[in-house]
Amino acid sequence: MEDIGYKIFGAFLTTVLAFVVGMFYGGFRRKIIARIQNRVGPPVYQNFLDVMKLLSKKTAVHHGIMQQLAPLWLITMSIVTLMFIPVLKDGLFFTNLNFSGDIIFLLYMMVFGSLGMALGAGQTGNPNSAIGVTRGLIQMVGFEIPWIMALVALMVQYKTTSVTGLLDIQSQSGTWMMFSSPFAFIAALLAMPGMFRYSPFDIVGAPAELASGPVSEFGGKYLSLMMTSGSIFAFVKLTLIVDLFLGGASNLIELVIKTFILYMYPVLWGAISPRFRTEQAVKYFWGWPLFFGVIALAFATF
Amino acid sequence: MAYDNNSQKIVDYIQNFARKHSLFVLAYGTGCGAIEIPPTMTSRYDAERFGIRGAATPRQADVLLITGYLATKTLKRVIRTYEQMQDPKYVIAFGSCTINGGMYWDSYNTINMLDKYIPVDVYINGCMPRPEAVISGFVKLQDEIQAGRADGWKKYQDNLEEYRANQKKIIKNWTMPDFNW
Amino acid sequence: MTDTLNKENKLLEVLKEEFKLLSGKVKRSRRVEVVIENEQIIPILLFAKERLNYIHFSHMSCVDWIEEGKFEVIYILWSPEEKINLLIKTKVAREGEDLPNIDFIWRQANTYEREIREMYGLPFDGLVGREEFILEDWDEIPPMRRDFITNEYVSETYFEREGREDAKDVREQILGRTDEKLPDFAKKYSRD
Ligand code: SF4
Repeated sequence: MEDIGYKIFGAFLTTVLAFVVGMFYGGFRRKIIARIQNRVGPPVYQNFLDVMKLLSKKTAVHHGIMQQLAPLWLITMSIVTLMFIPVLKDGLFFTNLNFSGDIIFLLYMMVFGSLGMALGAGQTGNPNSAIGVTRGLIQMVGFEIPWIMALVALMVQYKTTSVTGLLDIQSQSGTWMMFSSPFAFIAALLAMPGMFRYSPFDIVGAPAELASGPVSEFGGKYLSLMMTSGSIFAFVKLTLIVDLFLGGASNLIELVIKTFILYMYPVLWGAISPRFRTEQAVKYFWGWPLFFGVIALAFATF
Repeated sequence: MAYDNNSQKIVDYIQNFARKHSLFVLAYGTGCGAIEIPPTMTSRYDAERFGIRGAATPRQADVLLITGYLATKTLKRVIRTYEQMQDPKYVIAFGSCTINGGMYWDSYNTINMLDKYIPVDVYINGCMPRPEAVISGFVKLQDEIQAGRADGWKKYQDNLEEYRANQKKIIKNWTMPDFNW
Repeated sequence: MTDTLNKENKLLEVLKEEFKLLSGKVKRSRRVEVVIENEQIIPILLFAKERLNYIHFSHMSCVDWIEEGKFEVIYILWSPEEKINLLIKTKVAREGEDLPNIDFIWRQANTYEREIREMYGLPFDGLVGREEFILEDWDEIPPMRRDFITNEYVSETYFEREGREDAKDVREQILGRTDEKLPDFAKKYSRD
């Protein structure tokens, strides 16, 4: 009984932690990009203000039930995914619900939100949304393939599909997966910026080109929910990669350091690059990342 | 929660603080002023310090910038854009053209007083205001928001008929959908 | 001076030989201006384009000479080889007459013609394109005609902010503060 109490409290704590850390990371991102462009930039807590402002909007127009559901769908996806990821290796609160077999489940869960978003954006009837959704799905097909290959390589190599199992293997052998299966790591790393949708891959929400794409008809509280879910999801992705390849984290400070360093990689890449076109992005993902994915699979099987 | 005066005040204060420091700007680049927006936003004058940030669509925006003279044809689009924005929304008008017609005051196709057609919260004078002036206009808007005086959107709701009459006087062939909140 | 205008004079001669009714003069180097009847417009444009190689149609504009009851339409051509601007002017009555459509010679003339048709109400014979071009829902007389009184229209249609009714000459107000006088040469620009 006590166990359940801890678990519920832990789930709550994890969500808050993911929200806060994700928001601050977003703030740091804006600050860093501003510094790169020789600007002062907004304060690091700017994203909190944005979300608060959006929540305090008096009206939020919607075009139907699907559009109302889409942000909820997104945030559900983010939190559910978060629940199935061990944020810390052990400890009372942050391990959450890991049953064996969760990597495959996670792979499903992580596209679930985007699909909901696609339906919601479709209902708005805005042509920009439709274009954005198509681009998003194309891009997803692009980066999902090397990413899944990397994960499958891990699962095949270590004969387990659970994140906790992989964590255990790493702590027993004493090496991180990024060294013991380097090709999978490279493939995942090269596919990662696509998941974050920062600059070279911001073809979905391209503000000047598509008027922010699928999001274009969402305002007020809907937008705030989407920003929240985006922050949580950024944290989720970072934690997952840290768990899989960087040996996880045994306390929060270690976690923050590892995720922050990992986060800097798409951010800094984004800060100095212009936008890809859709076909260029797909071409990129199906080039080197796919190549390393195939090598990783071969490496894992033989 | 009890809606007594004090707690309402605190809520208002927090809301206004957030609104003030996070202004999503939709620049309607008419006239000459569109050229002043990029320097205001980029590294020289860096409006993002104040939480000012571009928004891509009217649904996400808080502030509508009208940057210069408005032809009757563009007025139609501006009204449509303004009505699509979510409350609370603010309007900043640039330049003498929006104040009293500026150098186009006797033109057959530019309006003279913007505030007869949509409520304007802050006017920035000049022809064209420099980015410093633009930023000072934003700071003024922030002060107004914190003091709770930037209520153009309420005015628009209350006096909708008057504004509509003025708008319809110019836009003869009214084909826009009705404004309903 | 005259030798520098050689090619311009030669062009004028060629044109005068071909079109007997034509009058014109060399305005300055690289600019020749000819006036012609409006029936001759298509022949002269074709002649300039096909024979003299004035292949670039720069602009087409219109002036309202309300005192004469005429519109003056100006076609501006440019030859990249000769480097001469050839201005071909013609007059047409304000009411009841129309000009030939020339967009089969230069496609882009269509845009100018539609603009002139809308802004001056001058019809072009056989011009294809929607009546409404730049203006939207316009039901007054065409706005660039000189009998369209802009001031009246503006004061009827738009609002005027207080403080600008007098429309005083600003210089006089400034001078009044320091007891200076407006110099003679500047007086002709004065509003009174
Ligand atoms: S106020 Fe001046 S700079 Fe601004 S739109 Fe009018 S004429 Fe242009």
